[in-house]
Amino acid sequence: MTNLLEFKKVKYFYQTKESEINALENVTFSVQEKTFSSIVGPSGCGKTTILSLTAGLLSPSEGEIILNGKPIQKNDSRIGYMFQRDHLFEWRTIWQNIILGLELQKKHKDPEKLAFAEELLKKYDLYNFKNKKPRQLSGGMRQRVALIRTLVLEPKLLLLDEPFSALDFQTRLKVCDDVYDIIKSEQKTALLVTHDISEALSMSDRIIILTKRPASVKKVVDISFQGSSPLLKREDEEFGKYFEMIWRNLV
Amino acid sequence: MKPRKCKTTKFYSKARRDYLKRLKKDKAWVLLGQIAIFVCFIGIWQLLADTGVIDPFFFSSPSRIVTTIIDLAKGGELWLHIWTSLYETIIGFIIATILGVTIAILLWWSERLRKIMEPYLIILNSLPKIALGPMIIFWVGSGTGATIVMCVLICIVITTISMLNAFISIDSDKVLLMKSMHANKFQILFKLILPHALPEFVSVLKINVGMSWVGTIMGEYLSSKAGLGYLINYGSQILKLDIVMASITLLCILAAGMYLIVSPLEKRYKK
Repeated sequence: MTNLLEFKKVKYFYQTKESEINALENVTFSVQEKTFSSIVGPSGCGKTTILSLTAGLLSPSEGEIILNGKPIQKNDSRIGYMFQRDHLFEWRTIWQNIILGLELQKKHKDPEKLAFAEELLKKYDLYNFKNKKPRQLSGGMRQRVALIRTLVLEPKLLLLDEPFSALDFQTRLKVCDDVYDIIKSEQKTALLVTHDISEALSMSDRIIILTKRPASVKKVVDISFQGSSPLLKREDEEFGKYFEMIWRNLV
Repeated sequence: MKPRKCKTTKFYSKARRDYLKRLKKDKAWVLLGQIAIFVCFIGIWQLLADTGVIDPFFFSSPSRIVTTIIDLAKGGELWLHIWTSLYETIIGFIIATILGVTIAILLWWSERLRKIMEPYLIILNSLPKIALGPMIIFWVGSGTGATIVMCVLICIVITTISMLNAFISIDSDKVLLMKSMHANKFQILFKLILPHALPEFVSVLKINVGMSWVGTIMGEYLSSKAGLGYLINYGSQILKLDIVMASITLLCILAAGMYLIVSPLEKRYKK
């Protein structure tokens, strides 16, 4: 399998009034095409910095980030970003929210793109809510809309920044399953950042464990389970062993 | 629609029916209270004036106010005064709102400009604008122009500050989301910041209705040849307090009218 994303000895410092903070010391890892990878690490270790760097919202102080053979550019259009909260715009309908990205890139009159957006809505049971406002939808549905809003732009790589952390536990498991299904059936490559080990385990093919700040890669674990959905994976007997191993590496 | 509604009421539980009844009753009581206060106030005022407990020369009375308004209307000058004040208020209100929002947008656009302007905004906000009155007369001359300037000065600073605060209160992740989808700064402004600040804008409009009337009356007190503020001033100088009270009554009606035009916007745009 080919590497879609590569971090090569990436360092990142950020500046505050008081001092220069070394967020990433030496981060090297790769993400294969059509796989699901997760980054876990102690809180405040620079997980979100890695996503911002990948999205081209920040540029590395040293080192290289390669996506599909080419270095990352500023606001790279090959990247889709999903945030902790859905950030749907309350004044727009679900449909208007979904085509927001197309609108910003002036592609909202392209019939092919619009047809694709409609198809995604139908496929993931949101078509009937097309003309509703976000506040009329449940938390789980809103997160699905947020994912589709990203997918409409057909990104090569999806970045997920703890996208379930704002949901209650029941919804979280369900949405986690939904999002996983969507990502798999659209054959997307995804990179998830989370502090929840079981969430990372239930979704990922590979887990990248970071040390505390300044972060470097402590260990990379490849995961394989019998079960196919996140919920089923949680029941796998290997789950506990993996969990313990990762947990030991975190503390 | 109607028969269907009747049908569904049949299925309402007793608790639901009681609840709805209580709701209706509450509303009726509030309305009744409001009307009672109005009637009592007018009635007692009239009674006290008629029986000589208060001197109608100083306190006027509802009947004298009505007669004064009718007299002024017959003379035709009433419409001139109302129109002048209304015109000044509306023009001042519109200029202040447009300018205030524009300045807020500029300050949002450039963080550096915002930092530079911060102390000046604070000073302008705490300065009682009425103090500038005499200067305004020297600068733009007395009359309608001066009143509009006063009105704009009183409204504009609060408009700028409120709108700027609404603009910068946006969740930074939403801006990041827009950036991750390649929005340029214009798109961030028009598709995110302005719609986000719409509820605050409606609040500002409501505040400005009151503030622009303050500006107009202040301006007319300072120097004017027409307007309700002029009429109040004139009435007090020739000791015809009926004219003063009549003008205040008209002011109440006009301000309430303007408020009623703006307030439906609030229901529409505020969650």
